[in-house]
Amino acid sequence: MDDLYLILATLAFLGGFILAAVSWRRDEDRPHGLNIPIAITGLVFQCLFLQVRGEMHGRCPITNGAEVLVFVSWSIVIMYLALGRAFRLSLLGVFSMPIIFLFQLFAILYLAINDPGPRPPAQLDPWLELHAAMSLLAYGAFGLAGIAGVMYLVQDRQLKSHQPGRLFYSLPPIRYLSVALVRLLAIGTLLLSVGIIAAFFMEDKPTPLHLLVSGAVWLAYALLLAVHAWRRLPPKRLSLSSIGAFAFALATLSAL
Amino acid sequence: MSIFCLGVNHKTAPVEVRERLAISEHSVPNHLGEICAIDGVEEAVVLSTCNRVEIYGGAADPVAALDRLIAYLESHFAVAPGEVEFYRHAGEAAAHHLFEVASGLDSMVLGETEIFGQVKKAYAIAQEQGRTARRMNKLFQQSFSVGKLVRSGTSIQQGSTSIGSAAVDLAEKIFGKLNDCRVMIIGAGEMSRTTAQSLLSRGARSIIVSNRSYDKAVELAAELKGEAVRFDDWETKLDHVDIIVSSTAAPHAVVHASAIRRVMERRRGHSLFLIDIAVPRDIEEEVNEIDNVYLYNIDQLQQIANEGKSRRERQIAVCRDLIAAFLREKGIEALAGVPEGRGGPEPGGKFGDTSARPLPQP
Repeated sequence: MDDLYLILATLAFLGGFILAAVSWRRDEDRPHGLNIPIAITGLVFQCLFLQVRGEMHGRCPITNGAEVLVFVSWSIVIMYLALGRAFRLSLLGVFSMPIIFLFQLFAILYLAINDPGPRPPAQLDPWLELHAAMSLLAYGAFGLAGIAGVMYLVQDRQLKSHQPGRLFYSLPPIRYLSVALVRLLAIGTLLLSVGIIAAFFMEDKPTPLHLLVSGAVWLAYALLLAVHAWRRLPPKRLSLSSIGAFAFALATLSAL
Repeated sequence: MSIFCLGVNHKTAPVEVRERLAISEHSVPNHLGEICAIDGVEEAVVLSTCNRVEIYGGAADPVAALDRLIAYLESHFAVAPGEVEFYRHAGEAAAHHLFEVASGLDSMVLGETEIFGQVKKAYAIAQEQGRTARRMNKLFQQSFSVGKLVRSGTSIQQGSTSIGSAAVDLAEKIFGKLNDCRVMIIGAGEMSRTTAQSLLSRGARSIIVSNRSYDKAVELAAELKGEAVRFDDWETKLDHVDIIVSSTAAPHAVVHASAIRRVMERRRGHSLFLIDIAVPRDIEEEVNEIDNVYLYNIDQLQQIANEGKSRRERQIAVCRDLIAAFLREKGIEALAGVPEGRGGPEPGGKFGDTSARPLPQP
């Protein structure tokens, strides 16, 4: 059943991806009205998948790469639905769909090739749950920051080239993008801080590698924000850094 | 009874003709009274703007009513018979025409929104004067729905159509709302003034004017409610402006990349938008290579305006499809035979009459 939910969620995001591409081809100036319902549909199937896997393991379903990828995608969708409109970035969903679809696809392939099956049941530890939930939500915020960075670079490129393309009219002003980018980085860093602090209270202490990797990701983002606050990084450099930092954060997931 | 439309617009009559037929707002009530007194005309709405004079109405025999209406206009505005070529539509064609007008498809600047307000006002005046009944009420309310539908469902408003609007649209794509933006004008020419006015009309916070002739700078600053700065001092103000519009008559560059680089180091990541509308150009091209600085010259703005016009023109077919679908769905024939005098339209109902036959054009 979990496989079916995962496939349905992936199909929903594929639908969102196709819809975004079609809207773009048709020169439409705003995201399609179905964009949010599709994101919610995908989110519901993701929740069902994670619920089934959680019941199977008797713990938070982040026991293998596939589950972590689904959890990170889930966090990106949650963050988009919660913050997209507040940050005047409705197009963020359109840009998120391809990356969410790819994460889901990798998760399907991972489980198809090697599903490690249920883990031995563990006693419920609220600190562990808090650590996992906050850390993965932080990854969602970092993911969206990376996507906002891509949007900034696209809009900057169009403005510099003097030849506004199709996306020019749909994308938000670059000032809004750079403001949203900083806010998402700050939200992600805050959530990750809570997640790391919670790790110190867990019954089963995290491994040194786990702490080292989490600390490195936290440090990368904290440094980025500190340098920005101190020197006011140019938005283009901040965008590139947020994309690079998210790539680094994703690369560390395998070690977690 | 059929609805009809009679008029002239910027496509069919030169300004000399339109100004003779123009009906000022305060005289509309009198004209409405006289038009409704014409034999066979039962309702009327007068739409008079700088680009069009149109009369919408209802009549049992629109062909005869329109002939009498033309005779009225010719006698009232001292126009020789046949001197003005009025277009005339009846039934669905009249509705279709009004829907295109309200959607901005018949405007000089394709997709502009001012006409929507003007149609609303024309209808409100006729309604206040008691010159509308069931068909005009329904027709105009449907036209408001269509106008909104076209604007929200298509990209007809998207893309700049003039150099001024291209500059303002670009500024909004950089800064979002312009309420916090400060503008500097270097060179107090006509183009600078027009561009500055466009920026102010979209909410730009303040204007600084600098010109070789300080008196002219003071004069323009007073007109724009801004601050005048001596030409030797404009660089000292650069730290505090977001948009620079330059149009001096200098034969060489006035704004140098080195100066902008120095300014950007102090601006802590704030973008700078430079508009160079001078020929020869005032701003060194290298300025555009600086991070977070966007430079546009007059040709680039003109190109964006041209693309904006083409973009809007490509949307015309989509808009017409929407209007045709609306007419198919609501169906103008459905009200034929519905009893008169029941006032306003029924929600979701269909408006009335009649034949969509083309009228003989004079």
